[in-house]
Amino acid sequence: MFIKILLSYLLGYLRISVEGYYIERFINICKTKKITIWNLKRSKDIQLYLNVRIGEFKEVCKIARKTQCKVKIKSKKGFPFLLNKYKKRKIFLILLFFMIVLIGLSSNFVWNVDIVEENNNEMENIVQDIENAGLKTGTLKNKINTKEIINKIRLQRKDIAWMGIELKGTNAIVKLVKAEEKPDIIDENEYCSIVSDKTGIITKINAQSGTANVKVGDTIKAGDTLINGWMEGKFTGVRYVHAKGEIEAKIWHTKSKKIPYNTTEKRDTGQVENKYAIKINNFVINLSKKLSKFEIYDTIDTENKFKIFSDFYLPISIIKTTNKEQEEIAKSYNLEEAKNIGIEELQKELDEEIENKEKIVNKNINTYEKEDGVEVFVTYEVLENVGTNEKIIF
Amino acid sequence: MKKNNNRLDRLLELPKEVYSNVPKVIITGFDELIVENFKGILEYEEYYVRINTHIGIINVNGYGLDLENMTNDDIKVKGKIESIDIERTIDEG
Repeated sequence: MFIKILLSYLLGYLRISVEGYYIERFINICKTKKITIWNLKRSKDIQLYLNVRIGEFKEVCKIARKTQCKVKIKSKKGFPFLLNKYKKRKIFLILLFFMIVLIGLSSNFVWNVDIVEENNNEMENIVQDIENAGLKTGTLKNKINTKEIINKIRLQRKDIAWMGIELKGTNAIVKLVKAEEKPDIIDENEYCSIVSDKTGIITKINAQSGTANVKVGDTIKAGDTLINGWMEGKFTGVRYVHAKGEIEAKIWHTKSKKIPYNTTEKRDTGQVENKYAIKINNFVINLSKKLSKFEIYDTIDTENKFKIFSDFYLPISIIKTTNKEQEEIAKSYNLEEAKNIGIEELQKELDEEIENKEKIVNKNINTYEKEDGVEVFVTYEVLENVGTNEKIIF
Repeated sequence: MKKNNNRLDRLLELPKEVYSNVPKVIITGFDELIVENFKGILEYEEYYVRINTHIGIINVNGYGLDLENMTNDDIKVKGKIESIDIERTIDEG
């Protein structure tokens, strides 16, 4: 039945009213003549509303005459009538056709290149490299050979572990996995010595192979040799080895900051103005004046790409510029407040930097008063393992 | 002969309304009634529908009754149905 109604919508149907005393007879004759009528509705008087197809309307009229009923057309529905309506609006129809063709054509191009990097590892110049390899906004989709582009880029760059290009609608999604930089591993059989990579004071040194160059309590700088890669024996002479050992040192992490007594702080007043611009490829049309009416303000630009379906991007985007008015508020601290603020901020920074909290041995806070502010120094003493292998070059 | 036919149909588990003129009445909720294998409509008012079948007449009382989806052998009555009663014309036994 549903399909029948759908079909009748395509062929066109009429909603008519039949008025007369022999309505039941009218319905029964329609049934015996196999005329499909549906949505019969009887109003309180002698009227009956019903739907009938265009092709069968003439026969219905005949039956109505036979049963002495009056027929009136209430409304015309369906596709043929819709078409008829638009016959007069030729320009509209032409434009509609033109639009469909345009959309169809533009779907053959890539309008948006998305670069997705694993773990949000930023890569330098990757956008440009992809463009040079041939994946640009506005290139034909058939012309893009993903394998070739991937090969080109991978030959150019060494920091890519994996790369994939997916064409989705007018969207090209480039997925990248950055290769991790590995430290140079020195072979177990090769001779090496251990060299410091940090500055601090040695608290523990334990050479498993090789001879220790420093003692506990010595101050070391980055680059100092900690364990030499050779052994001296009374009878064997100098023998080179692969140095091994554990060295623990006290490392200082220092941060400093100057907190002025008088500062100005910016705060939003709550006044906001929005400005819009349309960007077509690289051509920007401003819809309003560029200058803001506020004196001090913060601007936030957001760009929305125009898309029809979820993946069908067009080379048109709307740029929304939000200006938030701000006001400057003068703030003054006394000595104690300034100190506390400085210490708190620095401690927070250091806490984020140092992962292993248990290894923190000592915390040192120094403040120096100046004319216009307080300088705060916060030093953490942390026990850390130091030393990297360095190959012995003869 | 008729008895044999019946037995065969029972064996094949054919529904009764398919091979005979016996009407089938389906009521979905209290707002929808479908009659299969109907013969014609005897009376139709907004509050009263009288449907003729091969073995009797079905009367439907209610208000706002519409006849939706009328095809050659089934009819759908939609509206607030209040009562349904049956008048037998042929004794089946």
